Amino acid sequence: MSYYFTILSPSDAPLFNIAFGTSKSGGDGIARFRFPDSAQYMNQFVIHSSLDIVEEAQWMNGNMYLKHIDTYPPAAAYISAFLTPSGTRFLLLHQPPQPPSTSSTGGSSLLSSSFSGASSSRASSSSVAANPTSPQTEEAVRQFMNEVYENYVKTIMSPFYRQGMEIRSPVFRTKVTAAGRKWL
Amino acid sequence: MSQHPRHSAMLSISTSNSNLANAGADKQQPSQNVSTPTQSSSPGLRVPSNRKTIYDRHLNRSRTAELSRASFAFLFSEMVTYAQRRVTGIQDLEKRLNEQGYPLGLRLLDLLFYRTMSSSTSSSLSSSSTSSSPPNRPLRILPLLHLIHGPLWRLLFQRSADALEHSVSPETPNEYMITDNDPLVNTYISVPREMSMLNCAAFVAGIIEGVCDGCGFEAKVSAHNQPTEMWPGRTVFLLRFGDSVMEREKVLERAGVR
Amino acid sequence: MSTNDYLVLAGTFHGVHAITRTITPRIPVPSPPSSTSTTSYAFPNPGIPATGLEYLETEKFRLTCFQTLTGTKFLLFTDPLTTNIDVVMRKVYELYADYVMKNPFYQLEMPVRCEAFDRHLGGWLRGRT
Repeated sequence: MSYYFTILSPSDAPLFNIAFGTSKSGGDGIARFRFPDSAQYMNQFVIHSSLDIVEEAQWMNGNMYLKHIDTYPPAAAYISAFLTPSGTRFLLLHQPPQPPSTSSTGGSSLLSSSFSGASSSRASSSSVAANPTSPQTEEAVRQFMNEVYENYVKTIMSPFYRQGMEIRSPVFRTKVTAAGRKWL
Repeated sequence: MSQHPRHSAMLSISTSNSNLANAGADKQQPSQNVSTPTQSSSPGLRVPSNRKTIYDRHLNRSRTAELSRASFAFLFSEMVTYAQRRVTGIQDLEKRLNEQGYPLGLRLLDLLFYRTMSSSTSSSLSSSSTSSSPPNRPLRILPLLHLIHGPLWRLLFQRSADALEHSVSPETPNEYMITDNDPLVNTYISVPREMSMLNCAAFVAGIIEGVCDGCGFEAKVSAHNQPTEMWPGRTVFLLRFGDSVMEREKVLERAGVR
Repeated sequence: MSTNDYLVLAGTFHGVHAITRTITPRIPVPSPPSSTSTTSYAFPNPGIPATGLEYLETEKFRLTCFQTLTGTKFLLFTDPLTTNIDVVMRKVYELYADYVMKNPFYQLEMPVRCEAFDRHLGGWLRGRT
């Protein structure tokens, strides 16, 4: 599974983005998207195209975590959203690995199940990689979002940060990467 | 969508953390950053001597901590004095105080939700009106007002506001009033007679405005003196929601959103 | 009394206070035998500098002077028989520190016109009687 995570301000300005791969099921944490490396902007296209749905859901559902809100079938990209009370959007694009994957990471269920039994006690780990819409995935994404939210709150409490500013702190990036490793 | 017209003006201090900008230049290698969490390799970033950045501190650390009222009073007094420099009039001064409070409101909103979320066991913050273990973003005006009246006021002043009213006049259905009998910020302030219209709680009005705007409720908030025999410092915060909010309110009411 | 009368009174008292401070008696300090310099003098209690006049008693009234650390003087006229003057002084000092010094509209060295100070002082004094 490959992930592309982005934070957008209430007026849709990108504040932060990061791409990473799963660390569960023996994943090495490196993103392998289906788009060629020369077309990484596709992630941004797909994720931004779901903003309309976010804005619709924003006023119908008072939860902060909006769960899985959009799918882009041609790329098998699933998008989950989280809204802070102040309207900042956290969007996570997840893309399961291509079935005829030639790389050794993820992919085969045989490999992932054997690894999850050995390396991780979390029962959800294998299903996170296997099925992007399962309740376990929703839960893992929720945990990830909550952890990012905590760090986001710490960022905005900094007196040198004003809402709408790009988040440049390398420590924040480290924390998001760690949250991705922990939950996804 | 919610408009944030002031954000462009709020970027003025961004130059002060140019050292962070330098450090962010090497953000293309996140995998390296993991192994050296304190970033000793990047030259621009300065880490405190105890190696703890703001990200290593817990946000609930100061939740029950007490703050000296005197130090706040002196700080606020200096803020008023600062805002008073080169003002053209009372309205201008109130506007400046309001602008000082506005970014604070935006921050407090997220902090408030984080604390309500993380402390499901505590009862101090989850109010009677908006309490539910996973807190909901306010979608309608009334939950928003309860959020301000209860949890926000408790976060700021450790007590609820004293009254919450809707304008009785049919011409102004978009006006709501929150009353505080004795605003903390005004405790030690005596306004000179020639400025009797001034209320320094315009700062708090700015905080409320920030919270409303942050939630997507465009509003103008102002503070007004309404002294009574019992409460000489009684202050009414008048919230005037924008037309877009009122229109959305009607749509949401028809859709049955609460 | 008009503001002018207050100024005259303050000026007079300031002079008296300055004189009383300089005429505070001092005692000679026994200088070390090796030194040949002139004998130095110190106040009876070396840690505390001279404060000058603290109170003035007459048949008709008693004037108490209280000095804050920054040198602001509070003068209180009372009946000679009144007790607990220091309690009153401390309370006035406390209210002064709260409602005058924390007021952004008060300028140093200017007459105190703080409505909250008047209100709280009045309320406290009324509560005492």
